[in-house]
Amino acid sequence: MTSLKSKSFSEEDLVSAIRRVVVSSGFCFKNNIKSVVVKPNLCYYWDCSTGETTDPRVVAAVIDFLRSELKNDVRISVAEADASAMKTKYSFDVLGYREMCHRKQVDLVNLCEGDIENVNVSVKDKELVLPVNKLLLQADLVINVPKLKMHNLTGVTCAFKNMFGAIAKPRKFSYHSILSYAIVGVNKLVRSDLTIVDGIVARGRHPKRLGVIMAADDPLANDFVAARIMGFNPRRVEHLSLAAREHVWETNKIEVVEDGIRLSEVKKSFPSYNHMMHRFSWNLQLRLLRLYGRIVGDVLPPVLED
Amino acid sequence: MGKMGKLHLLNALHMEGVNVVAAADKSEKNRKSVENYHVKTYDDYRELIDSERLDAVIVSLPNFLKREGVIYAAERKLDIFLDKPLSRNLAEAREIVQKVEEEKVRLMVGVNYRYFPSVQKLKNDLDDGKVGDVFIATSDLVLNGPFSHPLVPTPVPDWWLDKELSGGGAFLDLGFHLTDILIWLFGDMQLAYSHLGYNLRLPVEDEATAVLKCKGKGPTCIVNVGWFSKSIFPDFNFRINAHGTAGFASTDCYAPRSMRAHAIKEGTLNLLRRVSRRKLHYLSYTYYYSSFYTILELFFESLNKGTGFPVDWRDQLKAMEIVDSVYGEHEGK
Repeated sequence: MTSLKSKSFSEEDLVSAIRRVVVSSGFCFKNNIKSVVVKPNLCYYWDCSTGETTDPRVVAAVIDFLRSELKNDVRISVAEADASAMKTKYSFDVLGYREMCHRKQVDLVNLCEGDIENVNVSVKDKELVLPVNKLLLQADLVINVPKLKMHNLTGVTCAFKNMFGAIAKPRKFSYHSILSYAIVGVNKLVRSDLTIVDGIVARGRHPKRLGVIMAADDPLANDFVAARIMGFNPRRVEHLSLAAREHVWETNKIEVVEDGIRLSEVKKSFPSYNHMMHRFSWNLQLRLLRLYGRIVGDVLPPVLED
Repeated sequence: MGKMGKLHLLNALHMEGVNVVAAADKSEKNRKSVENYHVKTYDDYRELIDSERLDAVIVSLPNFLKREGVIYAAERKLDIFLDKPLSRNLAEAREIVQKVEEEKVRLMVGVNYRYFPSVQKLKNDLDDGKVGDVFIATSDLVLNGPFSHPLVPTPVPDWWLDKELSGGGAFLDLGFHLTDILIWLFGDMQLAYSHLGYNLRLPVEDEATAVLKCKGKGPTCIVNVGWFSKSIFPDFNFRINAHGTAGFASTDCYAPRSMRAHAIKEGTLNLLRRVSRRKLHYLSYTYYYSSFYTILELFFESLNKGTGFPVDWRDQLKAMEIVDSVYGEHEGK
């Protein structure tokens, strides 16, 4: 991991930071890479300054870095799928991705469109069929560019949860009852060769300018470290412990290379909150509200309907 | 019938002296959710209006369908409660009010923001002269706009972001509310300056500022609105400040400091009202949504009593003139 010391960092600073963390991670580009897919986290329309979505400047710097490392004929695609409440046809504009991709002359792809394959995958005792875009399945290199942020349902959202967003089905809400299985399943089908975490603005109980960039050649190891930063024991985060039990990735020997910033400092700065208590309190409020509605006969606004 | 239509329906179902006859929606899913309340449904509002015996209709249609919906109801001599804004543009607004006058039916626009307790208290203070003569008034309303995130995620309907269909962005959606309140508080206004922002790179503006000047003696007013801010219920970034010769007043002074504490207090009071068989203050625990109940209840009360509506559509027509001036200033830029 490394940090961007200045709040007004330049594009060159960002490319240099990405180069340093990727080299430190031990990642090596394989030969004959023809197609690269970069998967940011564009879960909703909220600007990157909220800490909810990947900063397009980070993805732009990743593209510059790739161009400096790979041959000119490599095809780079920035890809995200529609979500239950998010349409990429708007979020690509709203979040600045259409402009950035046009400027960098790379493809911008909605993963819910094009060639989609329904792929079987088993996770523990469950057999899942997940629709995945062939662009991801056939890519020579998949670069996962998630956010460093907490999530109401999963607690931790970083590399693993970001790939859940790549499932080629807009109504991913339907997977929420088997969320951990779907997250691990899609990560089995689409391996993130390289993870570069946008921690410029992180989000816990509020957004925080951390100015951190992390990289890892193993998405699970990455998420174990991210979970520690957010104050979680990664083995108690359901989707991470499930992934570890599936033995697809290595989590026993995680080495953190600190470049100008210490993990303990990042952890201290992260605006963590008690996720269990937050979920409990939120669910309790909703239950009390519905109970109140039933007993008193008051109206519940449709926005709170489940 | 989207979320607002359903809210009006639920509210009407709880009102004394109101018999909800039927609801119409193109979406089968929406119709099914309404049928749970034992309400008859149609997939076309024209069929509903032609088939049922009605006194009034609640029109909660997307902006591009409002003119057609209101005119259809007016021609069949039905009184109309219309969700704000009055229409997608001034020309359609004028057609609507002309038809309403021709057919001699009554129209009330759902400018629910007037009925926030904080706005009512501000109005009382201004009318009582507590702050003296107001020279400057500012107003802010910055939210998610159409990007609000309900409990069950649903995508933003396309018409919101299509200028042709919606008529505009944040200024029409939110600026209409603030302009209406300022006209109500201080009288008729004209546009002095406006700015539209397109930070979200959408065909409609996501941010707007307008400076309004009272036509007579009255304050200079600033309207600031935006769709760009992440806000999750019950967060609510709204205020009106009035700076006068004897002091200042702000809706912030009258709004609950903690929405959660307010919800607990109001919920408990309603429970006691239920136990003692008194009338509930519907949705008061939400602060924001109770205004929808209040304004709809006033509409039905006026119909039942045969009295004039507390909201005069002429004010909303004036608000539409301001909206039209703002968009006119930026047309072709």
